Amino acid sequence: MGGPPLHGAVYFDGTSAMAREVSLQLRGDALELNGAGTTRSVPVAGLHWPERTRHGMRVLHLPDGGAVQCDDARAWDHWCDANGVRERPVARWIRSWRRVLLGLVLLVAGAFALQRWGIPVLAGAIVAATPERVERAIGGSVLDAIDDRWMQASQTPPQQQAQLRASWSRVLQAQPKGSVPSNQLLFRRSRIGANALALPGGVLIVTDDLVTLFAQDPEVLMGVLAHELGHVRHRHGLRMVVQTAVLGSLSALLFSDFSTVFATAPVLLGQASYSRDAERQADQEAVQILRAAGISPAVMVRFFARIEGHAPDAEQARRGADPSPGSVLGSHPADAERARFFAQAARSP
Amino acid sequence: MDSVMGDPTATASQDRQLDIRFTGSGSEYFRIWIVNLVLTVLTLSLYYPWAKVRRLRYFYGNTLVDGTPLGFHGEPKKMLRGYLLVSLLFLLYSIAGQFSVAAGLIALALVAAVAPAMLKSSMRFRLANTSWRGMRMRFSGSLADAYRAVLPLALPVLAMSALPLLLVRPGVEPGRAAPLFGAVALLSVAVLPWVFWSLKRYQHDNYALATLTTRFKAPVSAFYSLALRIVGVSLLGSAVLGVLTAVLGFALRMGMAKPQGGLQAGLMALLPLLLTIGLLVVGKTYATSRLQNLVWTKTGNRSMRFMSDLQFSRLGLLTLKNWVLMAVTLGLYWPFAAVATTRMRLEAVRIKTRVDPATLVSQIKASDGDAAGDAAGDVLGLDIGL
Repeated sequence: MGGPPLHGAVYFDGTSAMAREVSLQLRGDALELNGAGTTRSVPVAGLHWPERTRHGMRVLHLPDGGAVQCDDARAWDHWCDANGVRERPVARWIRSWRRVLLGLVLLVAGAFALQRWGIPVLAGAIVAATPERVERAIGGSVLDAIDDRWMQASQTPPQQQAQLRASWSRVLQAQPKGSVPSNQLLFRRSRIGANALALPGGVLIVTDDLVTLFAQDPEVLMGVLAHELGHVRHRHGLRMVVQTAVLGSLSALLFSDFSTVFATAPVLLGQASYSRDAERQADQEAVQILRAAGISPAVMVRFFARIEGHAPDAEQARRGADPSPGSVLGSHPADAERARFFAQAARSP
Repeated sequence: MDSVMGDPTATASQDRQLDIRFTGSGSEYFRIWIVNLVLTVLTLSLYYPWAKVRRLRYFYGNTLVDGTPLGFHGEPKKMLRGYLLVSLLFLLYSIAGQFSVAAGLIALALVAAVAPAMLKSSMRFRLANTSWRGMRMRFSGSLADAYRAVLPLALPVLAMSALPLLLVRPGVEPGRAAPLFGAVALLSVAVLPWVFWSLKRYQHDNYALATLTTRFKAPVSAFYSLALRIVGVSLLGSAVLGVLTAVLGFALRMGMAKPQGGLQAGLMALLPLLLTIGLLVVGKTYATSRLQNLVWTKTGNRSMRFMSDLQFSRLGLLTLKNWVLMAVTLGLYWPFAAVATTRMRLEAVRIKTRVDPATLVSQIKASDGDAAGDAAGDVLGLDIGL
């Protein structure tokens, strides 16, 4: 006892290219093909039924080779309905415009959630699993590269260096025990101007220009170092690397058949956004460290004020590193926003 | 059944022309694309093999050669393992590159070393899982041939490794280094058309369906002359666009009373992007159309041969229209663009045959091939197939 048959289908047996006319019938758990000189029975279980595309033919590929095709798609669909052959859920979803547009909304929300939380959480797990000596190794090789290209031996007088080191270790001593990551303070002369860097593994670099700029106000330098230590504490260097790599891979995957040019846009924007988050987090750490050391966070307000009003080339240097702070492409939040954050932290207890 | 297969002297067969028609529609592919993207994002890309199979089934199934569609037989579950492996490797490779220059170079060298093997495995997988009129296709290229195909690259690599040895000798001033490096760079560029020809020959010499195999008949010189023409067209195109971009940038600067930091930076970043797009429209479409014509028109055998006459002007205008609409719709137009481009490229190809396709008989049952190679092609962006 079988279901209603479908006539007028074309069968290829997989060995020869000759087209044979057959009729299909479902009998029990087997699909039977019958035509002139052709009889074949195929178990229904492994069959991958064709999806209901608007154009084109319906082609059913048979597991052991061969195919059945029907260029009357409507007849095929009727036959499937009459025999209880159901579409797969995803295929039904694709055919409904309403569901697809819902899917589009879901996609945008999902992609946003992925960039905002998914990737950082994943990166956090990877970073947590990475031993510190890996980070120190990376930091070491980055330091070598930097020393090669942009940095030279410091010209800050040794007494001044010693004073700053002493102040810094006093600040660190005020921190809860065991919460200070291993760090090393280095002074360098550099053409990048007044700046401070934190490398993976804890190397903190302060340029001579920055020291000179705040020679009369060393507490500001403590604030800058506290910010950089915040980067080290949260292992931002490594985190950025992992996040960028994951974001880049996902973007390449999703947009690979799109275009490599368009695939870089989300990576750039995402990278910039992560960088701004890291800077804000480091600012928060700076507030905590300064307070513990008895220094008011307001020193950082003086930092932004001084650095803005200072000689154009110092400002240029900073601008060069971050051409559009605060914007979507900026690696740092806008100076005004950061200054406000510190001012507010100074006012509240 | 006529047994005129491969017999050029039979009078019973006539030259027939097989047309290729593409019946896909942009709106339908748009829906498939969105659903694929949603599921891929929601599953953190684990859904990717299923998405890829659906996409390929759609495109193959809508490609009608002489009225009969192509079939794609890849199975997502088998492809998943290969895909996971390759993604992990790719992630390690991109992370390694950020750590140190040495690690990045080693990773690159490893990838380069296995790339020919991945190409071969990818071609085998693709063709073994492609069928027409119920018969599976085959890729008959060997691993040795794949490595032989990239052999021309050995020249610049050898030159680059020999260079430090030459320079370390006493009596050689450092000033000599620059022209030597320049010469090596020039050698690398000069070898590229040869490598490309070699790779295309590897691919197109080894396609097989039933008893028919293809041969690649284009000479190396054709690739060199095409390369020169592409460079010429690209230079011309970029010169024109460079002028336009400069004028536009200047006008913007003049038009803004006070330069706004973020806005100006955003616009300055946009202009090179426009330039790149312009180059892509001109240079890449010229290269694509001419290359498709060259490569496919010189592929075939005594019984069947391909012909392609894709016109640069038509493809160029279509590409321009696609890019404008994609920019306007923030990329949502892409599936429509993909379908339109695929249609234009496929329908430009015809097959002239002396053999009635219905008489082909397959000799062996092709094996499925390893899916990992194909996954590698996706993640690393190797371009396979039409």
